[in-house]
Amino acid sequence: MPGGAAEAFSGEWMAPWLRARRKLEGAGYGEAVCQSYARTSIVVAFEIGPEPAIDMADTLSAITIKSGRKAAAHFCEAAPVAARKLGSAPRFRTWLSLMQRFAALAPESIVPVLSRMTALMEELNVTQLEAWLLAGVRLSGVDVEKRLAFFAFETPEAARLLDRESKGIGFFEMDRRLRAYLCALFGVHPVIREAPPGRHDGSGRRSSFGEGFVQMPGHYRGVRGPEAEMLFRAALAHIGAHMRFGQGRFVLGQLKPLQVAVVSLIEDARGEHLAMAEMPGLRRLWTAFHVAEASGALTAESRFARLSRALIDPEFKDIDGWVRKGRDLFFAARDKWDDPQISRSIGNLLGNDLGQLRIQFNAKTYAVQPLYRDDNLGLWAFPEDGAPEDRSEILLDAARMTPNEGTRPPDTTRNDPETDQNTERVRPRAPDNPEGGVMVARHVEYDYEARVERPDWVTIQAVPPRAGPSGYASEVAQRYQQLIARITALVNAARVGRPERIRKQQDGETLDLDACIEAVRDMRSGIMPDLRVYQARRRQHRDLSVSVLLDTSASTGDPVGDVGVAIIDVLRDATVVLAHAMAELRDPFSIATFHSNGRDEVRYTQIKQFDEPMGRGVTTVLAGVRPGLSTRLGAALRETGARLAQQPTHRRLILLISDGEPSDIDCPDPRYLIEDARRAVQGLASQGINVFCVQVGQRNRETEERVFGRRNIVHIASIAELPEKLSILYLRLTA
Amino acid sequence: MLDGYMIEAEPYYRPTGNEVDLFSAAYQARLPVMLKGPTGCGKTRFIEHMAWRLKRPLVTISCHEDMTASDLVGRFLLDPSGTVWADGPLTLAVRHGAICYLDEIVEARQDTTVVIHALTDDRRILPLEKKGELVQAHPDFQLVISYNPGYQSVLKDLKESTKQRFCALDFGYPDPSVETEIVASEAGIDSATAHTLVEIARRSRNLRGQGLNEGASTRMLISAGLLIKAGVPLGEACTVALIVPITDDPDMRDALGNVVAACG
Repeated sequence: MPGGAAEAFSGEWMAPWLRARRKLEGAGYGEAVCQSYARTSIVVAFEIGPEPAIDMADTLSAITIKSGRKAAAHFCEAAPVAARKLGSAPRFRTWLSLMQRFAALAPESIVPVLSRMTALMEELNVTQLEAWLLAGVRLSGVDVEKRLAFFAFETPEAARLLDRESKGIGFFEMDRRLRAYLCALFGVHPVIREAPPGRHDGSGRRSSFGEGFVQMPGHYRGVRGPEAEMLFRAALAHIGAHMRFGQGRFVLGQLKPLQVAVVSLIEDARGEHLAMAEMPGLRRLWTAFHVAEASGALTAESRFARLSRALIDPEFKDIDGWVRKGRDLFFAARDKWDDPQISRSIGNLLGNDLGQLRIQFNAKTYAVQPLYRDDNLGLWAFPEDGAPEDRSEILLDAARMTPNEGTRPPDTTRNDPETDQNTERVRPRAPDNPEGGVMVARHVEYDYEARVERPDWVTIQAVPPRAGPSGYASEVAQRYQQLIARITALVNAARVGRPERIRKQQDGETLDLDACIEAVRDMRSGIMPDLRVYQARRRQHRDLSVSVLLDTSASTGDPVGDVGVAIIDVLRDATVVLAHAMAELRDPFSIATFHSNGRDEVRYTQIKQFDEPMGRGVTTVLAGVRPGLSTRLGAALRETGARLAQQPTHRRLILLISDGEPSDIDCPDPRYLIEDARRAVQGLASQGINVFCVQVGQRNRETEERVFGRRNIVHIASIAELPEKLSILYLRLTA
Repeated sequence: MLDGYMIEAEPYYRPTGNEVDLFSAAYQARLPVMLKGPTGCGKTRFIEHMAWRLKRPLVTISCHEDMTASDLVGRFLLDPSGTVWADGPLTLAVRHGAICYLDEIVEARQDTTVVIHALTDDRRILPLEKKGELVQAHPDFQLVISYNPGYQSVLKDLKESTKQRFCALDFGYPDPSVETEIVASEAGIDSATAHTLVEIARRSRNLRGQGLNEGASTRMLISAGLLIKAGVPLGEACTVALIVPITDDPDMRDALGNVVAACG
């Protein structure tokens, strides 16, 4: 018996422990597994008590069955780590059941996860671990290879999601408030994007900016909590100062990388001082990040950091001659701070001094200090002709979310182009799909198993509408001539807001004669009269905006009946007729279509904007809609909701026209997207946006009602009737 | 009759341009005037000041959605012997020669506002349809309306036929230096603090249409200044008087809170 067992499993616990061991031995997992258990369960028992150590045997058994003996050995090694870190029996049990569940979900990935348990437990608690594991499973769908790569940290997503789980506050969480902050401080409205994932080498992740755009790191490595919030704010305020007080880019000319770095540094200080003159509180925000000390080795980098601090922090004293000179030059030029050229002249002087001191400067590894400053690429005009030098292209490319594998981040390549011809070339990658979607938004998605909304999970790509045959508009008008006429008549009847007379009112515009007569009669006969003798007229106003959302997944390409007409054709016709009705009613409405190809590609096409008149252009574009791909309903609803929410009307309605239930290629679990859509509908309802679904074709009552609620769905069995029914349905719905 | 509506003491008003002269000229010609501008920039204070300066009573009517024509012109009321007519505030001003100020006129429904049409052209009459009376306006009567163009513009706007009857004075937030002066004088604080408040307000106005419907108004700054004068620290005063009233959006509140920190 291993040493310590008698103390670990004293008294009544010895027998069940021995029983658990015998059971493992009897199960034929091999000698090594049993010995590992005997050894590590003692450690676990010492940490958090004998009972969970005995429970551990069952989990071990389950994992061995699912994933084999190697996994079992790893599990035995990971258990004491988890026990020590979690420190209590209930939490350890949660961990056990999580491991067992994970082994069932992804048996091949349990080994990489268990072997990293020490590192994972450093970053995450059990709940966060669960969220991360499930995210990994969800991300990879049924693709075992992809799953394994994720849990072995071979895909950048793994580290990114780990960051998100562990750090809590990233750019994503603060996006909106930071945008507002920047806009308020400097009155600038650049596009602000989070840097794409995949840059996890940890080297100098900095913010970056260019004409009208800003790119922010998703997280600053090692900065957490309130400090992270401050850092994001400091970084944006700094970029705002550049945008506000900069005057065009500097010409690179023959400058060496070292000089570029010094000029940028002076320009940083210049912008900050001008901003601080208006907003003195910014000094507090920025100085907090200047931590360089006036001691230590005098490398180029440390001098830069010290000069940066000396230029902003009046308390900071540095004896180094170069730093002092920089400081004196800068403050001597105080009166000329509004001219960017002083940055250039002071920077050149200082750069030359450093050059004469023969200070080594490695532009490849240099990262601007302190952390909140940007990479300064936005300050310089790079030559247009050379490929790798065109940094703005690189940045824009990155912003377009097409990370180029194996390329260093642009912020570390701040070398002089003349001296650095061997930089890896970065080329904007042609979009994979010929129809060129542009990433416009990311939405949450709800995971019913984990009961969490995963932030930033689904990417909406805006696909520009395509024009179809131009004859379509007149064709529809002809085909449905009678129907359109009938509906127009109906609409005209519905449109006139009927004035309604309300009698017996406490106050109103006119007296209600009947009530007056009664009151006078009562008074004369000595009865207390009813004083509600007024009448009022009230008019019913239509105050409603509608978004029509068309499902254009592959199934809508199925034929209807036998005349060579597809579902999509009928949907389209019905939408045109409905649009006529809505235009007559003067309800502001928009039309959009969607289909999806996994969570990274929910393709969303806005056919008609709210303020766009309904005309031939819209019809032609509608004619260009082609069916294809899948139905990621929740994401499309959230996107539509976000656009509709900006309409200033009392009622807001999403009218979804769909032919099937949600599904997508990366979601093997049919319930997942249904639950997500349900969540999306509920979320919209809480914002005062109603979702009404018109379901055509085959029906699955249970699913539909689960997603939309029984009263918010109508089923039209015969698709051919759709054009006729849809508009009338709409009138009834909005009356 | 309208003694209660006379303004005795001079209301503080710091002109930002030649609006006082323009308004006086319009009054001489008895032209109807429209005051345009965002909320809290001093429209109401201006008209009070002008009424005092011109020595006319001022009848102010705050318009609202449920307001009917009867609320303006008057209505029949019941008394023991039958019905009696009671003049509404507009009729009162028309009969007795006051300046009638319809505040935030877009709030009223369009069918209500058409009753002013006959008053605003050269007829200068107010027909009391229900009473069968045609009131000829008193020679001193003038109609003034205020109108906030940025405010829910899609849904609420003046009819074209109403708009075109008015001369308009455009009010904006004053220049920083003037606004500082106003805040310092109205709140009784030193001009350095007033300057900081104005800087904060200017930045909040950058957010107009970017998450806020309207930036912080001069009125709000004066409130914040009064709190500061009462001993409240700047940060808290701004939270109470500017940030919390202006928005319920946590992100906007956070951003504004940090704007205060940056300016203070």
